[in-house]
Amino acid sequence: MRRMRYAFGLVFAFGLAILAVSAAPAEDNDFFLYVGTYTGFKYVHHSQPYGRGESHSKGIYVSRFRAATGELSEPELAGEMINPSFLAISPNHRFLYAVSEDPLSVGPPLDHSSYVSAFAIDPTTGKLRRLNTVPASGTSTCFISMDKTGRYVMMANFGSGSVSVVRVKEDGSLGELTGFIQDVGHSVDPSIQMEPHPHSILVSPDNRYVIVSDLGLDKVLIFGFDAATGKLSPPDPPFASVYPGGGPRHFAFAPAGKFGYQLSEMSGSVDVYAWDPAKGMLTGVQRAQTVPHDFFGGNHSGEIEIHPNGKFLYESNRRTQSEFVRGPDTIGVFSIDPKTGTLAPVEQSLSGGIMPRNFKVDPTGSYLLAANQLSNNVVVFKIDGTTGRLSNTGKEIKVDTPVCLQFVPVQP
Amino acid sequence: MKLIRHLGWLAFSLVLSVPYARTAPAPAGEYFVYFGTYTGFTYMKEGLPAGGSHSKGIYVSRFQPATGAIGKPELAAEIVNPAFLAVHPNQRFLYVATEDPMSLGPDFDHASYVSAFAIDPKSGKLHLLNTLPTGGTSTCYLSIDKTGHYVLMANFGSSSVTVLRIKDDGSLAEQTAFMKHVGKGKDPSFQSKPHPHSIDVSPDNRYAIVSDLGVDKLFIYRFDAATGALSPDDPPFFAVEPGGGPRHFVFDSAGKFGYSLKEMSGFVTVLAWDPSRGTLTSAQDARTLAPDFIGSSDSAEIAIHPNGKFLYESNRRFRGPDLWGPDTIGVFSIDPAKGTLTEVEQVPPGGTMPRNFAIDPTGSYLFSANELTGNVVLFRVDGNTGRLSPSKTELKIDVPVCITFVPAER
Repeated sequence: MRRMRYAFGLVFAFGLAILAVSAAPAEDNDFFLYVGTYTGFKYVHHSQPYGRGESHSKGIYVSRFRAATGELSEPELAGEMINPSFLAISPNHRFLYAVSEDPLSVGPPLDHSSYVSAFAIDPTTGKLRRLNTVPASGTSTCFISMDKTGRYVMMANFGSGSVSVVRVKEDGSLGELTGFIQDVGHSVDPSIQMEPHPHSILVSPDNRYVIVSDLGLDKVLIFGFDAATGKLSPPDPPFASVYPGGGPRHFAFAPAGKFGYQLSEMSGSVDVYAWDPAKGMLTGVQRAQTVPHDFFGGNHSGEIEIHPNGKFLYESNRRTQSEFVRGPDTIGVFSIDPKTGTLAPVEQSLSGGIMPRNFKVDPTGSYLLAANQLSNNVVVFKIDGTTGRLSNTGKEIKVDTPVCLQFVPVQP
Repeated sequence: MKLIRHLGWLAFSLVLSVPYARTAPAPAGEYFVYFGTYTGFTYMKEGLPAGGSHSKGIYVSRFQPATGAIGKPELAAEIVNPAFLAVHPNQRFLYVATEDPMSLGPDFDHASYVSAFAIDPKSGKLHLLNTLPTGGTSTCYLSIDKTGHYVLMANFGSSSVTVLRIKDDGSLAEQTAFMKHVGKGKDPSFQSKPHPHSIDVSPDNRYAIVSDLGVDKLFIYRFDAATGALSPDDPPFFAVEPGGGPRHFVFDSAGKFGYSLKEMSGFVTVLAWDPSRGTLTSAQDARTLAPDFIGSSDSAEIAIHPNGKFLYESNRRFRGPDLWGPDTIGVFSIDPAKGTLTEVEQVPPGGTMPRNFAIDPTGSYLFSANELTGNVVLFRVDGNTGRLSPSKTELKIDVPVCITFVPAER
């Protein structure tokens, strides 16, 4: 069966290649959808991997997404690698960067390191050609992003409590480490906050600052970023705080660059901040709650994203009611007040699977794709551009342990 | 006297700076001696910096081992906390770790840096090539592999070791290896997490030995000189006595034995090295501390004489608040067949807190860097007995913590 699927994939890929080069050129709204996965286990909880050997993924997969119809093609292996848990695309769409997250139990007992790989994207097939691999300069590296110039990749090293910046050369390959900051401190939850755990790093819209969400410290750290040298430096004031025990995970700027939204993993709160780009400062505006008042259980919010039209915010929640009962896992929808930046709840939509660690709104804003890590599916939701509401299209693809999604436009 | 020497040095520098001028050739066997310092504090006290410093960076003196004559130290490069130095095998480049403990720099600037310098072969002055993050914090040690293509660093604060590639022009490039240690040791005050304190390649360049003070282990990594990658050996480490605190490690010149100096216990463990399998086997635990000494040893540096017959190690002793000493440099003879040690003597270092010392490449003198008293004392080495005798020559250098030699161009 698996061989058949593989053979089918090959034939399909061949067919697509012919389409691209001859008769029917790719349409404007065709995208390569890249899916990062865990290859060595199913998920990580409290820094320990669970379901070792249960993932059959081989690396990064690519599927073709047609934003006009919401169609997704059968995924194919685009690049083989271990635990590509987070992906970033260069601004010129020619290169893909993937971290290899390497928790304690994977690899040799003392191989405590994560890595980052650069790939060139084949513009016709979407296949990935590896350029090089260097250490991430940390452990359990769980996030990667690029600066606006595309000359640097930035990584959050959850395990070793640091963030690192690596230069990208002209040919897309990775160069030297240009920035490194070790976070210090702790917060209130002894199970996960005994030491710093940076979970994401993101440049500000003007490329002059980076925002680091540190789950272990309950802080949203702000560092100066020098795009000429790739160095990180701490400004003053250096951070914003979330509610103790909240666990800041991912951050999103609104398209206009005036507001920032911090999703906290454990509390499920979204902190709304006004962003002052002149001072590099976040000022609290609102704390919105994504967990229903009557829900009793564990919440692990995952991803946060703002719709390209700037009107809606989406965030995913992985929930447990007991050791044996998971869910209800949801994608939360909020509307954004254009003046104050504040959030009003629209709905909590079921994610169409279990454990939606990641999701992505397509660049046209028509669909939201949810990656359900434990149920091994990527589900396509239609977005109502007026209300922000999601409706499950029933379209989905099967991918083993999907944990990150990224779109790259197919060149017509 | 000092003024005259200083003026003489100035005149010498002036002559050097005249283009095409025919300068008096330097005598055969002249060396530049580089001194690394702390610029932000005097010493680390319970993990925090204490005291002040007027040092500006790395200093250099000219030295003639044949006569023991040494010039007044001059600033070779301005840099913050050049805590450890390593010379490239081609003698043209110097690499420096900038140790950056918590209290230095802004509150959140928790990073150490490594700088590459080109050595001016005439003046010994250093020309900065580039500076990159080490990828860790409180980086306290660095060394160069035998090919000169990689610099290896021990990041005491963040529990990792890192390797950076060196380009042909001597500048630093991408990180090629990162390894984080996990675990803890017996002593909760210093061993609540791993603290790699040194990293050195084996004589055949195929392995790297990491002394981890925090977990009482000597980690053995396979080193791939083609890629700069580290990978754990099998077995991945040699465990020393609990609470020992391994700090620095040396191989003997024949590559048959290794010597691990433990900071906290003050013991030197003699180990047989099997280069085919990359394994260490214990041969002897040699005591450096007098049995009746009550206090802590804080052993620091270890080196083998170029003739291979003697081992030296320094001890910064401490008997209570502000009760320093007696500090010593221990001298041991090495059994050529078994590698084992026999104590020859323990010599006062001529100052307080000999964090570092170095033997000149000809084996004639030992330089003791006394961190707290701000002096470097020269000892004459007896090549037959290994014994040290004070030479009456000493240099005043604020907070000296590392010494290395480079041949001066003739």
